[in-house]
Amino acid sequence: MPIEPTLFRLRVRYVKQGRLRYLGHLEVARTVERSVRRAGLPYAVTQGFSPHMRVAFTAALPVGTSSICEWYDLVLTEYVPADEALAGLVAATPADLAPRQAGYVDMRAETLGLLVTRQDYRIDLSLTGVRSAAELLPAARAALDGLIAEGTIRYLRGHKEKTLDLAALLTEAKLEARADDAGFVLELKTRSSNAGSLRPEILLSAWDARFGAGDSDEPIVSTGIPHLANFERAEVERIDQYGEDESGNRVDPL
Amino acid sequence: MRVAYENRFAEIEPLLAKVEKPSRYLNHEWGTRSHADADYRACLIYPDTYEVGLPNQGIAILYAALNQAAGISCERGYIPWVDMADAMRAAHVPLLSLEGAAPVASFDIVGFHIPHEMAVTNFLEGLDLAGIPLMAEDRGEDDPIVVAGGPSVYNPEPYAAFFDALLIGEGEESIVEVCERHRELRDAGASRAEILRGLAEVPGTYVPSLYEVSHEEPCTRWGYTVPKPGSGAPEVIYKRVATNFGETDPLSQSIVPYTELVHDRLSVEVLRGCARGCRFCQAGITYRPVRERSADQVVSSVVQGLARTGYDEVSLTSLSTTDHSACKEILSRLNRRLEGTGISVSVPSQRLDAFGVEMALAVAGEKKGGLTFAPEAGSQRLRDIINKNVTEEDLERAVRAGFEAGWHRVKLYFMMGLPGETDEDIVAIAELADRVLEIGREVLPKGQRGGLSVSVSVAVFIPKAWTPFQWCAQLDDDEVRRRQQLLIHSVRNKQVRVHYHDAATSLIEAVLSRGGRDLAPVILGAWQRGQRFDAWTEHFDLARWEEAARACGIDLREVAHETFPLEARLPWEHTSPGVSRGFLEREWRRSLEGKTTADCTRESCTGCGVCSTLDAQNELMGVRV
Repeated sequence: MPIEPTLFRLRVRYVKQGRLRYLGHLEVARTVERSVRRAGLPYAVTQGFSPHMRVAFTAALPVGTSSICEWYDLVLTEYVPADEALAGLVAATPADLAPRQAGYVDMRAETLGLLVTRQDYRIDLSLTGVRSAAELLPAARAALDGLIAEGTIRYLRGHKEKTLDLAALLTEAKLEARADDAGFVLELKTRSSNAGSLRPEILLSAWDARFGAGDSDEPIVSTGIPHLANFERAEVERIDQYGEDESGNRVDPL
Repeated sequence: MRVAYENRFAEIEPLLAKVEKPSRYLNHEWGTRSHADADYRACLIYPDTYEVGLPNQGIAILYAALNQAAGISCERGYIPWVDMADAMRAAHVPLLSLEGAAPVASFDIVGFHIPHEMAVTNFLEGLDLAGIPLMAEDRGEDDPIVVAGGPSVYNPEPYAAFFDALLIGEGEESIVEVCERHRELRDAGASRAEILRGLAEVPGTYVPSLYEVSHEEPCTRWGYTVPKPGSGAPEVIYKRVATNFGETDPLSQSIVPYTELVHDRLSVEVLRGCARGCRFCQAGITYRPVRERSADQVVSSVVQGLARTGYDEVSLTSLSTTDHSACKEILSRLNRRLEGTGISVSVPSQRLDAFGVEMALAVAGEKKGGLTFAPEAGSQRLRDIINKNVTEEDLERAVRAGFEAGWHRVKLYFMMGLPGETDEDIVAIAELADRVLEIGREVLPKGQRGGLSVSVSVAVFIPKAWTPFQWCAQLDDDEVRRRQQLLIHSVRNKQVRVHYHDAATSLIEAVLSRGGRDLAPVILGAWQRGQRFDAWTEHFDLARWEEAARACGIDLREVAHETFPLEARLPWEHTSPGVSRGFLEREWRRSLEGKTTADCTRESCTGCGVCSTLDAQNELMGVRV
């Protein structure tokens, strides 16, 4: 039996912002792998036919969504002090995907995929036309509350009709008028599991169709970045990702 | 006033949500080299999508050379895919460069790469999106100078009307000289006409507006191109050859994309040129002489390049990498260096002998995809005609070695419509493929025979400028289709799959390869009728080309199927890769007699004339095997 070498699991938090928010998940993954190689870190590779870097990511972020809290676990064959590894990665990564935090977790610790079950979003919405967000707020809130009360959203993904289980996936939604009165800020706290996760775009499309310039019976179509009737711009940002213990207390990835 | 150089990303950003693969248009990649503060700006455009164009090594070399030159900044551009192009037109957003997201029309010079003839409608698509007049003669004082160059520049006449200048040959030095000359004249307040005359003085630069077409001496219907009286332009523009290729930096590539590319890897050019002398091959003439880099240089640049880019694959590129005299040494050293990193080495195609298989084995490791060989012709008689110096025994030995080493899939490349080809030669392709399959069945153990596959890919021969076959006609496309059917019906085994190229695309490629300046209105007409991305099967539409040609009174088939008389002056003879006409004629006569000609990197000089004309020579690092 070959002796299993000592391995180390480095956990890294990184951002996805600016124009790089338009990258797809595979593009991000490829870029991260290349930055690990450029940083010269002693990464471990898988055994077998087609060896590749041992790195695992948190759930894919939709194209167009930015984030300040994406994570990956990278397996190293040698210990490199975490701050040194972080500095190397920062120097080798495009700024809009910059790593911000790094630390070691036990090789046997829960994987990111199992650990991270909570995602919080902040959505900045700019209204179309010259409309007052404060005036529109009651109607917008009523539409949102109505949607949440229904508990599910039916939408099309390709030709398949699917259902988003809001009751299970959405734990909190807070809508406020923006200080400049030209738009809203919507904050969502969501929960994900093997059964699924909440794509904020679908909720946005469904909500948008229910008030103001929306008012449409068209089915919600999930095709990536949505076109909305009430909003000129919708900037979705993932602002937090974490897990929960048995009693519902927050568990940070690091 | 020239369009302002300014960042206009905000105008395309709203379009990103509507198009496929937004990452094509993002820029901000790792490893860009442009500098915003330079006072002279160049934009190099690859005439296809980002993911096809980014891996291009020619552009990478010129991009590095220009950005190293003092005071010059070079950015890149690609042709937006049809969805984005339409969205940009609807939103009135012009073609933008990548690095600075600035209008292409705001640059001092715009350079198009000419990778192949089928890119021609995309030159017009790019110019139109940029808001630059399509015809060179319509450009004014504020328009950028539009130049072009690349592998398919050796019959520049069909595109001559669209470009202010064409750079013939290796561009790493000449593009810098052209830009420097332009800057000097611009700063001195020279007019556009004066600038163009000045550029014509830079060796290797062809300025079409200084030339005219003559029909005085015996020539083809296209005439031949001569300098206008008093223009001072050279009669023949010889291609440029980089000085001391072996000492230039092999690591031109710096940009690491986000999008998955066609060739997503580090490329290191290990040698330039190929002297095997296949008579149909244009690159085999136009990249001469043969120059190798040293093993030390290759190995150290691979290691350095991988560290710099973070790629997990490196390709050792050239026209014939396994011909490098130190190929074996390079591969074994690289294998040692890269062990345990998950990084793989690849070599573009396999030489048709046991050595080729040995080299393929050296890079394959555990992963054995397919082995690719190019016998080009099915019979020995025809292989002798085309000077493919490979025997049936070579092929059998190579294939046997491949199967024994563990490969199950073999891909064979052939050409159809070669001069002197008969039905027997077509049947011979099928027999060869069947024979390869039989060898596989013989060598592979019973349990593995199910995975055995032989595929045959057949291109249509296109007579190219500056080859011994430049006088030949292309085979009629109906006859091509008949021979394709003959081939399919001649294959006995179901495990042999046959793929062939579209005869219609090959027809247009032949027209563009052989025609002259009078083709410009046909190309323009095809683009006006909606042709773009002609290299993409789903966008190629022969009917539009035929319509455009008819409107100009040109019959495309007549053009492609015409044999040129040996004594005629040809449309492209004013832009020369340095080969002598006498050599090409001699090679043509030898081919008729079925006589082969040796490779001058292995045997003595064959007298092609390139070295003496261009004052260059073969530079090998050792004895070739």
